[in-house]
Amino acid sequence: MVDEAVAAEELVKKYGDVTAVDGVSFKVYVGEVFSLLGPNGAGKTTTVEILECLRTPTSGEAYIKGLSVKNLGDIRKIKQIIGVLPQEFNAVDNLTVLENVQLAAVAKQADNIRDVLEQLGLWQIRNKLFSKLSGGQKRRVGIAMALVGNPEIVFLDEPTTGLDPEARRETWLYIKNLRKSGATVILTTHYMEEAERLSDRVAVMVKGRIAVEGRVRELVASHGGKTRLVFDFLDEDAVGVLRGYGYVVERVQGGRVVVKVDRESDVFDVVALLRDRGFEAYPEVRQPGLEDVFLSVIGSRLSETGELV
Amino acid sequence: MTAVHKIVWLLFRSWMRDKSSLFFGFALPIMFLLVFGTIFGGPAPPNYSLYIRNLDTDPQGNPEPLAAAFIQALNSSQVFDLKLLNPDDPAPRSTGFAAIRILTIPKGFSASLLNNTIANRIDITVDTINRLLQMAGENLPEATRANITQGLSQMNTFKQLFKTEKKPLTLEGSPDDRLLQPIEAIINTVADRFELALLNSTSTIEINTVQTNIRQLRAVDYYLPGYVAAFIMTNGLIGVSSFTAEMRRKGVMKLIAATPLSRASWIVSLVLMQTIVSLILTAVMIAVGWMVFRIAAVPDLFSLLIILLGTLAFTGLGSFIGGVVKSAEAVTALGNTLSFPMMFLSGAFWPLELMPPFMQQIARFTPLYYFHVALRESLIAGSVSTALIPAAVVAILAMAGIILAAYTTKWRDF
Repeated sequence: MVDEAVAAEELVKKYGDVTAVDGVSFKVYVGEVFSLLGPNGAGKTTTVEILECLRTPTSGEAYIKGLSVKNLGDIRKIKQIIGVLPQEFNAVDNLTVLENVQLAAVAKQADNIRDVLEQLGLWQIRNKLFSKLSGGQKRRVGIAMALVGNPEIVFLDEPTTGLDPEARRETWLYIKNLRKSGATVILTTHYMEEAERLSDRVAVMVKGRIAVEGRVRELVASHGGKTRLVFDFLDEDAVGVLRGYGYVVERVQGGRVVVKVDRESDVFDVVALLRDRGFEAYPEVRQPGLEDVFLSVIGSRLSETGELV
Repeated sequence: MTAVHKIVWLLFRSWMRDKSSLFFGFALPIMFLLVFGTIFGGPAPPNYSLYIRNLDTDPQGNPEPLAAAFIQALNSSQVFDLKLLNPDDPAPRSTGFAAIRILTIPKGFSASLLNNTIANRIDITVDTINRLLQMAGENLPEATRANITQGLSQMNTFKQLFKTEKKPLTLEGSPDDRLLQPIEAIINTVADRFELALLNSTSTIEINTVQTNIRQLRAVDYYLPGYVAAFIMTNGLIGVSSFTAEMRRKGVMKLIAATPLSRASWIVSLVLMQTIVSLILTAVMIAVGWMVFRIAAVPDLFSLLIILLGTLAFTGLGSFIGGVVKSAEAVTALGNTLSFPMMFLSGAFWPLELMPPFMQQIARFTPLYYFHVALRESLIAGSVSTALIPAAVVAILAMAGIILAAYTTKWRDF
């Protein structure tokens, strides 16, 4: 039996008439990366801030390693075992990398500053002012401030929002390393690819509720739909041949043709069939992913900026 | 305490690296002290500017002797900064706050003065002899009295030869010049003494000036505690409020709040950091004051306590503003809106007596008023008794500030 690191039970958070979190329940197990995936305003940050003891739930309960986030006596113990990277975090501009991490270390009474800086590749630039760093370096400083003190559970709230693709991939690398080190990571994001690449389990959150939750593979298998072959162009006769053999064929925007197949082996059968009949066929094969899960469950796509489209 | 002193050190380093904090926290108050201390705090009293247009000249354009002597008498009074205008020069224009005052000596001033002085001397002589005749009474032989009376009659006839039209001086000035009347009075005094000298007489009323222990502040004595108090206030209301809002906006407050560090430790760290800044500002201002103006102000424990209380009050208020107002821009705007009027209305920058009565009443409602008065009484005058009441008000403000800071520095439900 795997230990529970976090347990949220029917969490509700209301601001006046607005319900930001509406009966959210989930569990996160020790050593896994768990993502809350959803658009802006879905209630992801409010949910994790309840878990971080930064917000009081209107109702419901949450436990961090069995300690209640509502119990004042437990809160101090919880704060000793968690590390937090807040959303859109920026450290103190006029302090160096080292001094910023020292600030977090002093607050946590931690002394593993050098280890963390080396682990995140910041040791060489430790004496550089935060204001002089690149976007990716700044985010790494934030992660370092969250990681100092070796927290058992790390909350990373939108850790790559606003970063360029290179810095984003670089940050993913550090989060993967974090998982390897055995820490439990709770991630909020609106990037499908990020959740898919980094998470063991994902909860899709919309309008304060969890719409679907599970292992990425399981979610894709159950909600992601079929493997698709996408043709930029396909002759109408070829479409007829495929339909004649029982394949599901759709014409989509831009004149492209999509063929949905049940098994990966069907991909080769489709291509072989078309070539046998004398049609040129060079399809792009698309495996279903979280994006398809999201589309299937929510009925909308998520834009790069985190809006539902 | 270890955590607190490390956080204080880190916050202080951040503050010291912030150029705007250094400018507004140190450079600006020093500049104010140097500039205003030099302008208003020189050793000599300010001379009143007075232009002289002398129309009483001989055909060659040289001043007539009595006109020249009168100008010399004005100059010897050491009250005026005299500037001579040629008869045809236009009236100078004011290019700033300096008032333009022109004293015109009319043509014929010397001759009129000379003749009327002789006539006056005859009057005095006749009057004196008449008084002596009255005193002598019946003791004076009748023939002698008749001779003297005849002589006096001849003198009166003789006087008429000298009695000429008076040539009055003309003093021109702006109706807005509040010093015009006192200056007219000073010129009258100089003129009276000049006339007495012409009559070979002196004033019988003399003034002895005696040095006493009556307390008199120099301008720099006034400015130094005023500026220290005012800039401790701006460090709190603008610096702390902006810092608090900035830490919240960047997420640093959330990151720190999610650690075991207590809210009290954070507030204490912030207050201690500001106290260090206040003490350094005070030390630097005193050092500059001593080096440039020879102000000997060594803060005693009571002065240090007042500085601490003032720092607590304004750090608390700044923390309150930073905690309550949501946007960083609005925080800065509110900090400025509170600080700048308070600086100028509280009497920190100039004595309240120079302000209209209704503004003096407003000053007494500003927290800064009590802070700078307490600090001046303690630091400059060395008077604990007169500093006690304003210091007590600052202490109450300090308590209020800390309560507000504690209430609005959120560690949960931001």
